[in-house]
Amino acid sequence: MWKKSFLVFALVALMVGAVFAQSITFWTTEVESNRMQRIQALATIFEAQTGIKVNVVPVQENAVFKRFIAAKAAGTLPDIMEAGIEPLVLLGSEGLMDTQLNAEVINHFGDVYTGVKRLMYAGNGGYYGIPFHAWVQGIWYHKNWLDAKNLGAPTTWYNILEAAKELNDPAKGVYGFVLPKKADSYAEQVFTEIALANGARPFDAKGNVTLNTPQMIEAFRFYKALGKYSMPGFTTVLDALNAYLSGKAAMIFYSTYIMDDIAVSEVQKKRIHSFDPQLVKNTGFANKMMNIRTTSYGQVVGLGILKPSKDKSDAVKFAEFLMTGDNYIYWLHMAPGGMNPTRRSIATNPKFLDNEVLKRYGAAKIANIIAALDNVERFDFYNGKVVTKMSKLSSNFVIGKAINLMFANNWTPEQTAEWAQKEAERVLKSQ
Amino acid sequence: MNRMRRGTLERREAIFGWKLIAPTVIIISMLILYPVVYNIYISFFKISLNPEVPNQFVGLLNYVKLLTDSQFWRSFGVTIAFTLLTVAGSLVLGVGVALLMNRKFFGRGIVRALILLPYVTPLISIVFAWRFIFLPVNGPLVQFLASIHLMNPGTDIINNPNNAFLVVSVFNIWRNFPFVYLMVLATLQSIPDSLYESAEIDGANRWKQFTSITLPELYFILASIALLRGIWNFYKFDEVYLLSKFAGTLPIYIYNMAFTGIPRQGVAASAATILFVIMIASITLYVKKVLKW
Repeated sequence: MWKKSFLVFALVALMVGAVFAQSITFWTTEVESNRMQRIQALATIFEAQTGIKVNVVPVQENAVFKRFIAAKAAGTLPDIMEAGIEPLVLLGSEGLMDTQLNAEVINHFGDVYTGVKRLMYAGNGGYYGIPFHAWVQGIWYHKNWLDAKNLGAPTTWYNILEAAKELNDPAKGVYGFVLPKKADSYAEQVFTEIALANGARPFDAKGNVTLNTPQMIEAFRFYKALGKYSMPGFTTVLDALNAYLSGKAAMIFYSTYIMDDIAVSEVQKKRIHSFDPQLVKNTGFANKMMNIRTTSYGQVVGLGILKPSKDKSDAVKFAEFLMTGDNYIYWLHMAPGGMNPTRRSIATNPKFLDNEVLKRYGAAKIANIIAALDNVERFDFYNGKVVTKMSKLSSNFVIGKAINLMFANNWTPEQTAEWAQKEAERVLKSQ
Repeated sequence: MNRMRRGTLERREAIFGWKLIAPTVIIISMLILYPVVYNIYISFFKISLNPEVPNQFVGLLNYVKLLTDSQFWRSFGVTIAFTLLTVAGSLVLGVGVALLMNRKFFGRGIVRALILLPYVTPLISIVFAWRFIFLPVNGPLVQFLASIHLMNPGTDIINNPNNAFLVVSVFNIWRNFPFVYLMVLATLQSIPDSLYESAEIDGANRWKQFTSITLPELYFILASIALLRGIWNFYKFDEVYLLSKFAGTLPIYIYNMAFTGIPRQGVAASAATILFVIMIASITLYVKKVLKW
């Protein structure tokens, strides 16, 4: 009897303790186990310093909304989450982000790059998220192959097409390009850069869909032409990565996440079972593209403090903890090259550059990549405003599907653009 | 006195009986009944993502939205076609293979076991295996077919959006025929040989034996399998979703409604409710008319 009542007492005490102990819930989209280990370590340090427990919950980026619905029903919504622009903006458009509090944290730091923070601007001085880390996309190319044929750097439409044509040699199993042709976000990311280089945008200033403008049609035309000198099939991101590393593709579109695949033997061996020590030296990176104008594309991952949170001050403390000094650098080194700092003081911190991968590229190249962040352009950001409608098109893969269908049905660029226009209007109407 | 005692005894037994099935009843109510009822309930609401904004009662608006959406009807048609094709396909293939396997030959035991593999292997691994063997240029099957000049090595069969329906249907038939085969084989083994012997004496040929003995004996098992596979395939989500974004069956439509972009749970719930009603109605009809219960 005594034992039983003690057990009940202990259970009640535990539950009361759990309710009253300070704790916050943190959702992260870095779900890989080695990344989770680092985040868990940071959470433990934070708890030791502040007494605030952080429940780290890994959530796949494309499952954010699915999990959100369940969490809302269970009353376990996160206080703060780490995610790319699209989920943060979509949640923000539903009034779920504390845009003013996010702004306060950004202002507190005072050295967040303007180029990245504008991409999360919510109007009225608020932000959908605090820019946390970012990557840039571009063309990674076998510089020695291009040099051997006297081809210019693939930064213009003309150079890209020329190089793809010259270096495409299917008989030998080598292709000019591996282009995304499947209906996924990779296709949209690549197409974005191409379209913006031609001044094409999916929305005009009034928010009308403009996927069938002459500039857009030209972009589809270029994409299709590039497809001629690409690996056959509806290839996607892993095909591109493997083909580049194993010397089957002259050029690919990829983010700076490729940097450790190129430079680190163990990482590369996991992909293709061999390692080319010369690859770092022989690889070039075109971080911008030009046809009628210059553009670059990238993604910013932010920390968003949620409006329904009941522990906002703790969430702020955690955000500041994550983006300060050694903690921040420890986080960024999870994926050197892929995760670049959004604070100026960290980007120039020698401790940040003291990393196996980053050292191989050298401080100048890293600085160059981070500098490109300031000029990043996206479909979901136009004229100083975040275009929330674009996130809806992205989550329905409208552009990816258009590209997939263009190659599958051999559609003309005009047909493709017309299909995309109709599909976009349909998606927006049904939302 | 005696009667009263018996009454209490009966009552006690009844109560005891209820106690025994209570856990099952409770679990089933929580896991099946509650979601079904809750699903019907939210189909009348516009569900807000924000806990500070209450859900808004919209009456039948979600249903109206759905029934006027051409995409819904398209998906509906695709689902019916998918269900009919895959059920018929796996039945024909399953029965055919079962008839072959019912004959005696060397190594029958191994072959019988091998045939079950598509059904028992985890879905995700066979989806990847299919994708791999059909890879353009590098896929083993594609290389083989290209070497005997049957196809162009650059063809990407699996990922071509135009093939989506065919790919998911063929995949489903291939994955599920062993289930049919297993059930049919078990039934075939229970048909007494004497029936075939006397038919032979009466001069019935192979085909006549099949249509007059085998098929009638198999009728109820085939009808039951068709019902089960019909229900399962009507709601099929996992493999269709894993294989293609373009297959466009109703479960995929509901999933897109519920979980992509800003979730529209209310609309998705009403789609699920419509499916539920259709399924219940057709199952009742089927059980009465075909299974003759």
